[in-house]
Amino acid sequence: MKNELKNDKLFLEKISESGITSDAIILSSPIDLSDDGEYISGYLFVTSDKVGVCTGKLPDNYINIFKGIDTKDLEVIDPTDLTVTLYDNDKLVHLRLDTYIGSNILSGEYEGAPVHIAAFTNRYQAEMNVLVRKLRAFLKEGTLPPDEEKDDDTNNEDEGLKKKSKRNIFMRTLKYFLRYRLQIVLLFLTYIVSAGVSIAWPYLTGTVLFDHILTKDDSFLTRFGLTGKYAIALLVVALVMIGARLLQAACNYLQIFVMAKVASSTVKDIKTDVFDAMSKLSLNFFVNKQTGGLMTRVLSDSERVREFFIDGLPMIFIHGATIVITFIVMYRLNWKMALLACILLPLLVFMTVKLRPGLWNLSGKRHRAEKAMTAKANDNLTGARVVKAFGQQDTEIAKFAHPSNNLKDAEINIVRLRNRFAILYNMVQEVSSIWIWIAGVIFVLNTHEIELGVLITFVGYVMQLNGPMNFFSWVFRLWAESINSAERLFEIIDAIPEIQEIDTPVRLDHPKGEIELDNVTFGYRVGRPVLKNINLKVKEGEMLGIVGRSGAGKSTLVNLISRLYDVNEGEIKIDGTGVKNLALSDLRRNVAMVSQDTYIFMGSVAKNIAYGNGNATKADIIRAAKLASAHEFISKLPDGYDTIIGASGKDLSGGEKQRISIARAILADPKILILDEATASVDTETEKAIQHSLKFLVQGRTTLSIAHRLSTLRDADRLIVIDGGRIVEEGTWDSLQDKEDGIFKNLLDLQNKSLEQTAAF
Amino acid sequence: MSENTLNIYEKKAEEMTATHIIPVEAKFSATEGGFISLDLNGKHYDRVKVVRLFPFTDANKYLSIREYGGASKEIGIIEDLDAMPEETKSLIEHQLTLCYFTPVISKIYSIKDEYGYAYFHVLTDKGECKFAINMGSNAVSKLSDTRLIIQDVDENRFEIRDTDALTQKEKRMLDLFM
Repeated sequence: MKNELKNDKLFLEKISESGITSDAIILSSPIDLSDDGEYISGYLFVTSDKVGVCTGKLPDNYINIFKGIDTKDLEVIDPTDLTVTLYDNDKLVHLRLDTYIGSNILSGEYEGAPVHIAAFTNRYQAEMNVLVRKLRAFLKEGTLPPDEEKDDDTNNEDEGLKKKSKRNIFMRTLKYFLRYRLQIVLLFLTYIVSAGVSIAWPYLTGTVLFDHILTKDDSFLTRFGLTGKYAIALLVVALVMIGARLLQAACNYLQIFVMAKVASSTVKDIKTDVFDAMSKLSLNFFVNKQTGGLMTRVLSDSERVREFFIDGLPMIFIHGATIVITFIVMYRLNWKMALLACILLPLLVFMTVKLRPGLWNLSGKRHRAEKAMTAKANDNLTGARVVKAFGQQDTEIAKFAHPSNNLKDAEINIVRLRNRFAILYNMVQEVSSIWIWIAGVIFVLNTHEIELGVLITFVGYVMQLNGPMNFFSWVFRLWAESINSAERLFEIIDAIPEIQEIDTPVRLDHPKGEIELDNVTFGYRVGRPVLKNINLKVKEGEMLGIVGRSGAGKSTLVNLISRLYDVNEGEIKIDGTGVKNLALSDLRRNVAMVSQDTYIFMGSVAKNIAYGNGNATKADIIRAAKLASAHEFISKLPDGYDTIIGASGKDLSGGEKQRISIARAILADPKILILDEATASVDTETEKAIQHSLKFLVQGRTTLSIAHRLSTLRDADRLIVIDGGRIVEEGTWDSLQDKEDGIFKNLLDLQNKSLEQTAAF
Repeated sequence: MSENTLNIYEKKAEEMTATHIIPVEAKFSATEGGFISLDLNGKHYDRVKVVRLFPFTDANKYLSIREYGGASKEIGIIEDLDAMPEETKSLIEHQLTLCYFTPVISKIYSIKDEYGYAYFHVLTDKGECKFAINMGSNAVSKLSDTRLIIQDVDENRFEIRDTDALTQKEKRMLDLFM
């Protein structure tokens, strides 16, 4: 697509009518919506003194192309009815980019009144964001900011390079299996042997047994030195037959044995790589995808990859060879008979090719119905408490009936089609075998070209062809699915973590705990900043209280300091070094967080407290628990510090969990301690106790504490108040509480008042 | 402690919890800049924002009218847009079309799935479109058994109002997501 106005003659011509040349345009971005909510084609452009919008209507046969669609062979249809709107830069202020559902609107104030400038869909969001940021700076300072770092561009290029062809994915997956070369070779050998036996079998049971031995063919027997010894010959054939079967069975046994090893090992390797990659990924990745879905995807995808490479790939060679060899042998035996025998085979192939896709669709449908039902059941079981409390068991059962019914229908459909398919398939198979018998017998009787044994051999071969033929009708599907699965896995393995350590990170050997935020702007989504231009300095050992409404950006701020996310603009420094340059392990070791959502791992209380600190002694653990006021309740647990808590263990109350995570942070002994509503779910008495211990804890540490209950922050050296993503008040407790009309003062008054009221009761 | 600030807060709390219904008499008008202004109870709002509270189940009922910018405080709720004067209705609907830009798919030409992405070629009420969705994420959400919202890789939305109205062939292509 043409994303640069400079490349678009038609629009440039129109714009030049207003006296603006291509060289005067310093910024431009495509737009694609009119203010009536119709697709259009157009550009927003900026010159040194004007902002302009040029739009054109799209003809009816125009196809709107969105991201991800190949535009190579697309003919360009020019828009019609071009119009240009211009705004003077000096009258334009307060540019705002609002994101709505599927649309974005750029508006501003022009000559004091709000004005709609342009609208566009999400496909141009990135371009417009850059443009607006630059335009804002340009309107304010009169110069264009330099181009941003090419980070994104190089990433895109990488993406382009990585646009893996099927072959690449295939080769890459194959590598996982080639680690087990020896076993694979062994596997191939067994396949070849059993295929060889399969090919020899009909010949043995047909031609050799009937035509040579039973007809007492001396010339044949002489070759083996068994002239006249018919009984012995028969015995030898029988023994060879038994031997062949035994060999085949042994091969099968070996196959299963080796296959189990290779399959489970490779699946393990792939899964390990995937989980390894996942643990390195930033929080964003997990927030954007549901963790549950991710798990099943990884598990079922690696299974599917295995399926093709172990069950499919070797069989392609084996079955392919079987088919070719069988045809050659049949042709050599008697080509006319071979032709007759194979005449019905295409029908069988045609049938599978025609009917299989339906079966696959249905099984996909059943799979989805199953997923929906499990999700519903899961939802219900985890929410059992609420369901019961609201007395909704009956309605929930009724709601469950729907996905359950869907699954039943899908199941019935699939069984129905599968049966129909099986019956039809068997019938055609029967017919074709009867056909060979009839044709064969006529052939034998009329021409004497072949004997009964050859006929039996032929029937055997044709029956044996069914398997491989059938295999080829579905193996390509298996291949496609497996490549899809492999690609999804590689997508995770290749995902570039947003939070990455630089090549030569700075170590924090003797951390002081100074924090500095320099003009930090951050948003979880493009165009929606949560924090705006935050400047903040926290001295070594200082305790900073952070106050603000819910959703003001407090937690986001502390998440940035421990680098769970990277800032969009500006920089965060610890001890004068940007967090992006610090070794992640050092950063995480020196910044500990007790947050509002506590997480308890499955394991003992002691292990939970010592999480991330394997060297802690029992005495350390108890001291930490004491400081966190957790010792009391832990001693009362049935198994003390060895009580198993977490998912399958004893259930703790919210306050208890919180105290355990405080103990965890205390034990970690970080230089920077972040308390994000750390005492939100404990009672007042416990809070007092924790606060008391925190007094010791914060000594010699830099502490950032977020709290709604302002009394928690009484000891803070300094407070900041965040509102709407900005720091609006800053100062000591005393200075802020005297500030008339300050947010902090108001909040404080309000909380004191409600405390008084509570006391009065 | 000043009683005054407390009263302000009491009032704020009251305001936060109160539901204001916007009466039929409320005067919405189009501004020159292409937005909606509102005069209500003697107060003038330069530019208001309209938010659907039930965008899927009842798009024209319960519209939240909010201040633009800042904390975007709610001014009030329009209970039923159809009960409002014709002028107001068309004005607000015009605004909503752009803010809830969701082309409705009327015909599916093709759906091709390949390597974790599905490529759609469709006809919508806004024209012909080709877009790609990521099969791994929940790009297709089912609002009901027959109504779908499809999000492309950029999160542009497309809607299928009633899958039963599609032809057998189209339905079969959609089977992948049903």
